[in-house]
Amino acid sequence: MFATLFPDIYRKYLLKHSRSDALSPYLQAPLSSPQNTILETEFLALDFETTGLDANTDEILSVGYTVIKNGRIHLGENGYHLLKPEADIAAHSVTIHGITDDHAQEGMALLNMLEILLQKMAGRVILAHNASIEQSFLNSACKKCFGHILPLRIVDTLKIEQRRLERRHQHPATNQLRLFNLRHQYHLPRYNAHNALEDALATAELFLAMAHTHCHDLDNCKLKEFL
Amino acid sequence: MEIEQLEIRDYLSQCAPLDKLDPAELDKVIHALEITYVRRNRELLTIGGTNHTLFLIRSGAMAVFDEHDELQGQYTDGDWVGYRSVLKGGEITLSVKAMEDSLLYCIPGSIFLPLYEKHEYLQHYFSRQKPARLRSAIEEIRDLQHNPLVSTHVRELVHGQPLMVDESTSIRQVAEKMTRTGYTVCLITRDNKLTGIVTDRAYCTKVVARELSLDTPVTEIMTQNPRTIPANSLGSDALLMMARNNIRHLPVVEQGDVVGVITATDLIRRQSHNAIYLINEIYRAKDVDELETLSQQLPNTLLSLVQNSLTAYDIGHAISSIGEAITQRLLQIAEKQLGPAPVPYAWVMAGSLARYEQTAYSDQDNALFLSDDYEENAHGVYFEQLSQFVSDGLNQCGYHYCPGDVMATNPKWRQPVSVWQRYFNEWIEEPEPMALMYSSIFFDLRCVYGEASLLENIRTEVLKKTQKNTIFLGHLLANALQFHPPIGFFRNFVLEKTGEEEKALDFKKRGVIPITDLARFFALSAGHPALHTQDRLEAAAEAGLLSHDGMEDLRDALEFIGTTRLQHQAWQILNDEELDNFVSPEQLSSLERRHLKDAFDVVRTIQSVMAQRY
Repeated sequence: MFATLFPDIYRKYLLKHSRSDALSPYLQAPLSSPQNTILETEFLALDFETTGLDANTDEILSVGYTVIKNGRIHLGENGYHLLKPEADIAAHSVTIHGITDDHAQEGMALLNMLEILLQKMAGRVILAHNASIEQSFLNSACKKCFGHILPLRIVDTLKIEQRRLERRHQHPATNQLRLFNLRHQYHLPRYNAHNALEDALATAELFLAMAHTHCHDLDNCKLKEFL
Repeated sequence: MEIEQLEIRDYLSQCAPLDKLDPAELDKVIHALEITYVRRNRELLTIGGTNHTLFLIRSGAMAVFDEHDELQGQYTDGDWVGYRSVLKGGEITLSVKAMEDSLLYCIPGSIFLPLYEKHEYLQHYFSRQKPARLRSAIEEIRDLQHNPLVSTHVRELVHGQPLMVDESTSIRQVAEKMTRTGYTVCLITRDNKLTGIVTDRAYCTKVVARELSLDTPVTEIMTQNPRTIPANSLGSDALLMMARNNIRHLPVVEQGDVVGVITATDLIRRQSHNAIYLINEIYRAKDVDELETLSQQLPNTLLSLVQNSLTAYDIGHAISSIGEAITQRLLQIAEKQLGPAPVPYAWVMAGSLARYEQTAYSDQDNALFLSDDYEENAHGVYFEQLSQFVSDGLNQCGYHYCPGDVMATNPKWRQPVSVWQRYFNEWIEEPEPMALMYSSIFFDLRCVYGEASLLENIRTEVLKKTQKNTIFLGHLLANALQFHPPIGFFRNFVLEKTGEEEKALDFKKRGVIPITDLARFFALSAGHPALHTQDRLEAAAEAGLLSHDGMEDLRDALEFIGTTRLQHQAWQILNDEELDNFVSPEQLSSLERRHLKDAFDVVRTIQSVMAQRY
C-alpha cells in the first residue's frame, strides 16, 4: 500500500536497502513528478501477453513497448521480447496471443527480460491500457526475482476514459472501453495485429489522442491530470 | 518481433514515394520515425517559423494556406505535408492546419534529405518545381509505351470460324469454296482432326506449276501436320513463330479444337495503328451504311491508341483524322450522286476536329465557304442538298447534329466568301457575347475538302485584324478566363478554391478548355494561323506573348490533363459505358491526383498572370 501511495519515498527507501545491483539504475532515476507537464514527461507504453489473467499463477509470454518523448512516439525505441514460460501454454490461450510452446522455447528468461525492461523504465511513466494486468504481472515478476515490488508511476488509458465518463455521470457501454473501440472513438486508424508491440503502439497513439483532445492547453497540461 | 514486421512498415511500404525505397532504406526511415497527433483546428506549421520534419498523414486531414490565407490544398491519408520547408532549409512559407484530428508520421529531415539527394524519384515527387514534376510524370507514362502484341492474346486476334473441309474433298471443290467465301486459307481434316492446311498460294506453286488435275484430292497440295498455336499465346509469340518458320498462317487451337486461323496480316494490322487501317477502309467505303459500320470502330481505335500509351496530342490527331476522312468520303459520295459542284467551295470543319484535338465522337460543327461566283437561284439547291447529305451522313456515323445549328445545312453558315468576310468583320469589330461564343468555333476552322484558298484568303485578312484590335482581344481573353481548373482533389471530392467539394470534374470544361481558350487568344493576338493548341502555344512563345517556360508548362499541363481524360474514356469504352468527360476522383491514384494538381496550378497561375496583364 505504502509502495503505491508514496512511490518516490519507497524508491528512496529501496535505493538504500535493496541488495540487487540490477535494480539500482532504475531506482536512481527519480519518478516523474505529477507536477511535470505531459510534454516534458517521458512514457514507456507497455503491453504484456500472458498465459492468463492471474498474476499469481499465469506467466508473461511476451513484452512490447515504445517510448513517448516530447509528445511524440519514437519508433526507434521500440522493443519486443518473447519469454520462456515455466509451464506449458494452455491451448485456449494460444488462440488469443498466437504464441505456441515451440515459439516460447526460444524466448528469454524472466530475469533477463526484467533487466532490459528496467533500463527502459528508468525515469519514465508506465503507460498501458487496463494497466492492472501489466502492474500485477510486473509486481509478481519483481517479487519472484528481487523479493519485493518496485515503485511505479502508471497512467492507464482505460482509467482515463472511465474517469472522464464518471465525471459526466455516464456509464460505458459493453466493450466501449476496449482499446480498439476507444481508438475508433478517437478517430485513430484501424489496425489488425494483436501482439504486445502493436498493442503498446496502439495504446501510445490513443494516449496522444486523449491528451490532445482533453487538455485545453497542452503546453501546460500536467501529468497529475492523468494519474 | 522485429520492426520489419510492424503494420506501420506495411503501411509505409505502400505509400508513394516510399514504396520505391529499398527495404534497408525503409527500415532506416522506420527506426527514425516518430508519431504525433494534431487536434482539429490546430496549426501544425506557422508561416515564419522553422520546420525540419516531413509529415505523412496516417489519418485525418490537413489544409495548406498561403500568406494571404488562401487555400492551397487539402490533404488526407497517405498525403505529405511539411516537405516544402524541409527542402527550403527549414523556412516555413505555407501554413498547415489540421482540419480534423490527425495522426501523423514524422520523418526527420536528417534522414530524409540524404535519401532525397540519392533518389531521382524522390526529387520528382517532392520537387518544388511543379512543372518539372509534371514533365517527369509525362515521361514516365511514355516509358510504358509497349508493343500491343505483347499484351494481346492470339484468341482475340482470330475472327470468325475457319474454313474446314474433309481430306476427301477435291482441289476444285476447295478452290470453289475459297473463292465463294473469300477465305485465303482452308484447313483440311480427317475425322474432324486437323491434318493439313492449304492457302491460295498453293494453287500457284503446286496446282499450276505441277499441272495437277483439279479432281485430285486436296491432300496432294496441302501442307501436312501444320504448326498450330494455343489460343492463350501472345500475339508476339505468333509473330515469332511465323517469322522462324516462314509461314503466314497459323491455326489457333483451344482444348484440342481449331478455333480459327490467324494470318500475318492480322498481326501487322494490329501492330500498326489501326487508325491508319481504318482511314484506308473509310476511303474505300461505297456508301453511307458502310461508313457507318466503319465509324463504329472509332471507340476501339481510341481504346487501342490509349492502351499503346500514345500522347494525347497524337491520339487527338489520329481520331480527328478519322472524322476528317469520313467527311471527305461523304463529300466524294455526294458529288458522285449530285454531280460536280457548279462553283468552287470549301467544306470547313470547326472546333476540336479542326484543331486536331478530337477525342471520341463529338457533335458536328461545319460550314461551307462558297466562291463569290455563287448565285442563289442557280446553285442554291445543289449546295443545300450537298450539305444535307453530308450532315445526315455524319449524324449517321455518330457525329450528331450540332445543337447550336452550326452546320452547313443552316443557310447562315453556307455563304459566299464575301458574306463570310462581313461576318468576321462584325465579330471582330463589335464583339458581343454571341460573337464571342462563336469565336471558339469560327476562329478554329480548317478546310477538309474543296478549294482551301476560299478559307485561307479570309484567314489572312482576319488574323491581320485580330492582331490589332485590342478591344476584341480583351473580350476574347475575358472569355478565356471564364473557367478555372479546381485546386485539386480531396478524398473523393474535387476541391474548389472556395473550399467547396464536387463529386466529379468536367475535364473538358475545367481542364482542356481553359488551355485551348488561352492558346486561341495567343494565336489571334500574334496573328498566327496555327490551329492546334500546342502549335499555338509555341507560336505565342515565339512571338514573345508567353515565356518559353510558360509555354512548356501549359503544354505539359494539357498533355497530362488530356491523357487523364483519354484514360477515363478508354475505361468507359472497356466497360461499355457512354463516353463523357466527367472523371471522379475515385478513379485517380494518389500520384495522378498529385500531378493533376500540379497541372491545374500551372493553368491557374498563367490565368491569373494574364488577368493582371490585360
